Amino acid sequence: MNAQDYIASGLLEAYVLGDLPDADVAEVAKAMVQYPEVAAEVAAIEEALLSLGKAAAIQPPPALQDQIWNAIQQQSATTIVADRAEGIPKVIPFNPQTQVRKFTFAKAAVWAALIASALLNLILWNGKKSAEQSAVAYQQQLDTVREGQRALAIALAKYEHEVTMMANPNMHPVVMKTTQKDHPMVAVIYYNSEGTDAYVSLQRLPAAPSGMQYQLWAIADGKPIDLGVIQNDMVKTQGIEKVNKSVPSGQAFAISLEKEGGSPVPTMDKIFVMGKVSS
Amino acid sequence: MPPVANYTEEQLVSLLKQGSRDAFNYLYVNYSAVLYGIINRVIRDEITAQDVLQEAFVKIWNNVAQYDPVKGRIYTWMMNIARNAAIDKLRSKGEIMKGKIQTGEDVVFNIQNSKGTEQLTDAIGLRDIVGALRPDYYKIVDLAYFKGFTLDEISKTLDVPLGTVKTRMRAAIQQLRQHFSN
Repeated sequence: MNAQDYIASGLLEAYVLGDLPDADVAEVAKAMVQYPEVAAEVAAIEEALLSLGKAAAIQPPPALQDQIWNAIQQQSATTIVADRAEGIPKVIPFNPQTQVRKFTFAKAAVWAALIASALLNLILWNGKKSAEQSAVAYQQQLDTVREGQRALAIALAKYEHEVTMMANPNMHPVVMKTTQKDHPMVAVIYYNSEGTDAYVSLQRLPAAPSGMQYQLWAIADGKPIDLGVIQNDMVKTQGIEKVNKSVPSGQAFAISLEKEGGSPVPTMDKIFVMGKVSS
Repeated sequence: MPPVANYTEEQLVSLLKQGSRDAFNYLYVNYSAVLYGIINRVIRDEITAQDVLQEAFVKIWNNVAQYDPVKGRIYTWMMNIARNAAIDKLRSKGEIMKGKIQTGEDVVFNIQNSKGTEQLTDAIGLRDIVGALRPDYYKIVDLAYFKGFTLDEISKTLDVPLGTVKTRMRAAIQQLRQHFSN
């Protein structure tokens, strides 16, 4: 068939509508590469159907956007656990600026929340003077607000500490890159060359499935050394956690997915990210 | 929600393959309503339609590595995923026969009258289009695009030869193209 035959046949319309058997789909795809007019015709059909779709569009409820994102995160985690390590690390540029910016934004958000919370306190206090609320109900509200304020203040202190820590020139980051093909994941371990403390930061690890936990390892002299398990809610907030065990100078660091509570040796095909220490 | 940047399709695909949340937001902001519109016309029950929209996005996300831009634009790929997800859902709920028993006449009648009131309000943009096409042309596009009928099923439902369905489909889409270019 030449280009005009394809175009006149109605095959291209069926192709866009998803109505062709696989063999025909392959044939049309080839024709699109072979004949630019065929590709152009397909593009015009697609455009028309998109416009039709837009005319019939219905806004989904706004809450769905976050809900779907969360579902996607859960789903990817399950898929990744089923994969085997393919040994081809994906290179993700590590940008310290982004880190600091992210924390600055988070810090600003925490301040904003603290201020809003203090304002709420004030409003509630004024409310007490004129409202018919019972004293008990008011006290409960105040307690909740105070608790919230305390949590926010703790979070703020944590961010401050993390930014200070990252700025310390004795802190060396080791970027652990993904070992699972097609699944971008990154984590970073910051260890102090004086050997005092170390932190692990999870940029992008999927949520651990229930009953499992991530575990951090140092690899020294070819042997893996357990550095502890990572709390699952920390994975969700993508924060920084202090490593509770002493970190030996190693050749590499890695994170694997183990059953809850960790394992004495890492499960080799569940190693998600790994990074070498540059000498 | 943080502001959504403007991406070329190439940038979007690349970012999606990297798992970027910004890319997800872009997809959602620009395409969720179109996909939801199609799903709602196959499914009709709003709660189920929401489930299907979620399933569709999850499938899209998980399979983006298989999307090949040479074969067509990303909307077409997503649209087929969404529509197939809706049809699978109908099938699994045993309702596939209910949906497909409707003949062409009923379908046009339903669109122009109030078979689903909220759908009709949202479909005001659609009325222009329905008005601009020959009724038998619109019927065929609607069955294939919004109801997920295959050309074969359309041929059997409308009792029209398959070749005729194909020709009419082409003519219908050409009329659509005409309409949108004005």
